[in-house]
Amino acid sequence: MDLIQGTLDLLILKTVAHGAIHGYGIAQRILVISKETLQVQQGSLYPALHRLQRKGLLKSEWKESGNGPMAKYYSLTAAGRKYLQEEMAQWQRYAGAVALVLES
Amino acid sequence: MRFPWKRAETELEREVAHHLHELTAEYERQGHTREEALRMAKREFGGSEQVKEQCRDERRWAWMNGLRQDVVFGARMMRRTPVITLAAVLSLGLGIGANTAIVSLMDLVLWHDLPVPNPRQLDLVDWQGHGFPREMVDGASGSFGDSGGDFFSYASFRALRQGVAGLASLAAYSYPGTVSISFAGHPRVGQERPVSANFFSTLQVQARLGRLFSDNDDSEAAPATVVLSHRFWVSALGADAGVIGKTMSVNNKPQVIVGVLEESFYGLVPGDATDLYTPLLHGHWQETPEGKAALNNNRFWGVQLIARRAPGVSEAQLLPVMATIFPTTWSAQPKNAANAPRIRLAEGGRGLGSLRDEFRDPLLVLGALVGLLLVIACTNIVNLLLARAVARQREVAMRVALGCSQARLMRQFLTESALLAMLGGVASIVVGYLTANLLGQFLAEHDNRPIAVTLDFRILAMAGAITMLALLVFGLFPAWRGSRMARGNWVRSGAGNVGFAPTRKWAAGRLLVIAQMAMSVVLVMTAVIFTRNLLAIQSADPGFDRRNLVLFGIRPGTSGYEKSRLPQFYFNLEQQLAATPGVSAVGMASVRPMNVGGWWENLRLAGQSGVVNASINGVTAGYLPLFTSRMVAGRNITRAEMNGGAKVAVISEDLARKLGGQNTLGRIIEFAGGRPGEKAPQFEIVGIAPVIAPTSMKERPFAVWLPIEKDVSELTVVVRTLKPPQMVLPAIRQAITGMDRNLPLVEVVTMEEQIAKGLQRERMFATLCSGFGILALVLSVVGLYGVIAYGTSRRRGEIGVRLALGAMPGDVVSMVLREGLGLAALGMLIGIPVVWLGAKYVEKELSGIKPLEPLSIAMALGMLLAAALVAVGIPALRAAALKPAEMLRQE
Repeated sequence: MDLIQGTLDLLILKTVAHGAIHGYGIAQRILVISKETLQVQQGSLYPALHRLQRKGLLKSEWKESGNGPMAKYYSLTAAGRKYLQEEMAQWQRYAGAVALVLES
Repeated sequence: MRFPWKRAETELEREVAHHLHELTAEYERQGHTREEALRMAKREFGGSEQVKEQCRDERRWAWMNGLRQDVVFGARMMRRTPVITLAAVLSLGLGIGANTAIVSLMDLVLWHDLPVPNPRQLDLVDWQGHGFPREMVDGASGSFGDSGGDFFSYASFRALRQGVAGLASLAAYSYPGTVSISFAGHPRVGQERPVSANFFSTLQVQARLGRLFSDNDDSEAAPATVVLSHRFWVSALGADAGVIGKTMSVNNKPQVIVGVLEESFYGLVPGDATDLYTPLLHGHWQETPEGKAALNNNRFWGVQLIARRAPGVSEAQLLPVMATIFPTTWSAQPKNAANAPRIRLAEGGRGLGSLRDEFRDPLLVLGALVGLLLVIACTNIVNLLLARAVARQREVAMRVALGCSQARLMRQFLTESALLAMLGGVASIVVGYLTANLLGQFLAEHDNRPIAVTLDFRILAMAGAITMLALLVFGLFPAWRGSRMARGNWVRSGAGNVGFAPTRKWAAGRLLVIAQMAMSVVLVMTAVIFTRNLLAIQSADPGFDRRNLVLFGIRPGTSGYEKSRLPQFYFNLEQQLAATPGVSAVGMASVRPMNVGGWWENLRLAGQSGVVNASINGVTAGYLPLFTSRMVAGRNITRAEMNGGAKVAVISEDLARKLGGQNTLGRIIEFAGGRPGEKAPQFEIVGIAPVIAPTSMKERPFAVWLPIEKDVSELTVVVRTLKPPQMVLPAIRQAITGMDRNLPLVEVVTMEEQIAKGLQRERMFATLCSGFGILALVLSVVGLYGVIAYGTSRRRGEIGVRLALGAMPGDVVSMVLREGLGLAALGMLIGIPVVWLGAKYVEKELSGIKPLEPLSIAMALGMLLAAALVAVGIPALRAAALKPAEMLRQE
């Protein structure tokens, strides 16, 4: 299932909120948690990561990954954390409202 | 050192590599082989270059990195199409540069204010009369025309100056005259302008060194003083600050240097030749007894006036005051008051109008031509950019396919346009400087110095802005089109000649070429007209052999020789020169031949009424034989007549015919200019000479030669040499130095050079217009080539099919030729009426030919057609050489 436009940033931020993680890990975790429903296109993942970093919501550092080569690990900045909370509240209100309409 | 954008690039590589590594590992865990896993990972990840490109767009340093990439890439693209790049840069440089130079010059000559404070307060004073006011003026120095005169008596000046006190400051000056200067043992010749003591304070000019004149200087009792122009101080005195207070000899009279003018003050007119300013009472015009008498003689009107109104005073307030005083200073009141000279004020802020009046029309013509050139250059750039857009459609499509965003593509093309603009800008400044210098030289006629034309960078910016706008708008065209193509999935369709560009769009290119051709007709035609004009004048027969003649002036009368010693001096000089090796004959004249202008008189046969205007010259017995070996009738002036001051004359054959044929020999002519009641000078006609151009190649006036005054203070020596003049000149100089070390030779030139000097204006037109014409030709050839080459490259498929189906290469060539020459011919047809309409504006600049001679038209059209043939022929031949099989395979 493709992502609804505009939700990718939110998913990434939420995933990163659990702890520093590299790009591949983010894609995998979204896939696993969503029970293989949400497939993140690799082609949009990295531009999104770079965009979020430029906005100052994410920071990154190079660390050794579990199995070998160095990987770039992303984690939330303070601004990112605040932004995530606001966006999640926003999303829940939105999703609730959509659900109300659909179930009526 | 590692640049931030470099680091980001490597990190991105590594990040993507890591992702692929993890993905591959995952597939391997699922049991695939390594190769399989690798392939699957790559497929899943998708185009890694696209991802990278998108990431680059998101990055902090993206713009920096992008700019660097754009510039490098842009430079590479420009190198790859050197012809287009060169053509565009040249179009820009020539278009903008030439425009800037011409408009800067127009500004300086036509519109610029004098470099003095508050120039708007200045007024030039002159008067309007009905003909020359003979009732009150015996002699005058100044200019007089239909609209009146600019000269006043010294008495008028003094009365007016006093009368307007409080309202305005009134200053007097006179025309510059040539003087012999000697300083620190170096003799030279310069231009001296006598001015009233308040001249500089009226203009509010400051001294660079020393002081300017005070009222004390302008009195006969005061020691003679002189103020130097900045240019003279630098060029003649080496900018030596120590000259202040020293004495310089001017026309053999000691004068104390009191000051040097500020550099910005070029004089009363751009190119003002004045080297020295002297107080009126000590000026060169005061050296003769008549000049001295003129001060107290209000029948001699010899000074010009300039006024500065006090702040808040209008011309309307000032004029009535002056108009009331003016008539009270006349020696006699006119019988008919309506014919009396009426004083006028003319705006003086821009200085004297002489240069303005003389060059307004030529400059406007040149301005119009150069404007046309800018339009052609712009058209060309547009065309070139369109052609380039086509050449790069494949590249653009590839970049779009690889994930290049539209904004990025736009920026790329913007950068390339900016690069082009920068190169063009540099070229235009170079061209501008060269053209400005050339123009300054051309405007230096006999009484002007080369004008220092400084490029006006506001004008450069304006011309630049117009061109850059065209450049940017049309530079973005390929990006705009490229992004449209992307939507049409262009890459999938493969070859470079399918997929877009409906013919309608190309109509723009064709229209541009037609317009360009039409404008080129105008420019090329102008070039042909002015070049033929110059050639016609130059190659005309002046009536004498112009080779091996040398001219130079000598001024012993103002360099320390008593008048009584002059006849002997001239005689010795003639003997010395005649004995100099390489010299075949020597003559002297009071007026320099072929120097434009000179001495003119209205004359008539004594007792008859009809007058004719003729050029007069006083000459030695040896003068006429330099120019002609025979007399038509009668004889030459003899040495005895010269020494005795005999009243005899030799007249030109055409004048003789005008006055009554061969039987004019022995009759008397008289000058008709004398005052009523005074006996006019009369001369007996003793000889009739063939027609010789006396003043210029441009005119063949009637000519009269009289015996030269034997004690004239200055004259021009003409020497005929046996060898090329340059080889004999050293010996001539030596001969004169041997007689007097301190006698400067003035303006030593060969006759060819003297003739060329009189044709400066014609040469300026011919050179500039030829330049513009060649430029227009080149630009439109490039434009036409671009359009046709583009057209054939788009039709490669079609042409391939034609050739495959049996069309002969000749058919293809003629097809392309027909199309291209059709465009050119259409442009020419449009251009010809424009030329016809414009012809009347250049008519008065031509003296050798008529503007619209069939030969001129044929030459211009022939040149354009030949150029068009080259422009169209190359793509035509290239199209015909296509291999049909190859073409079809590419399809």
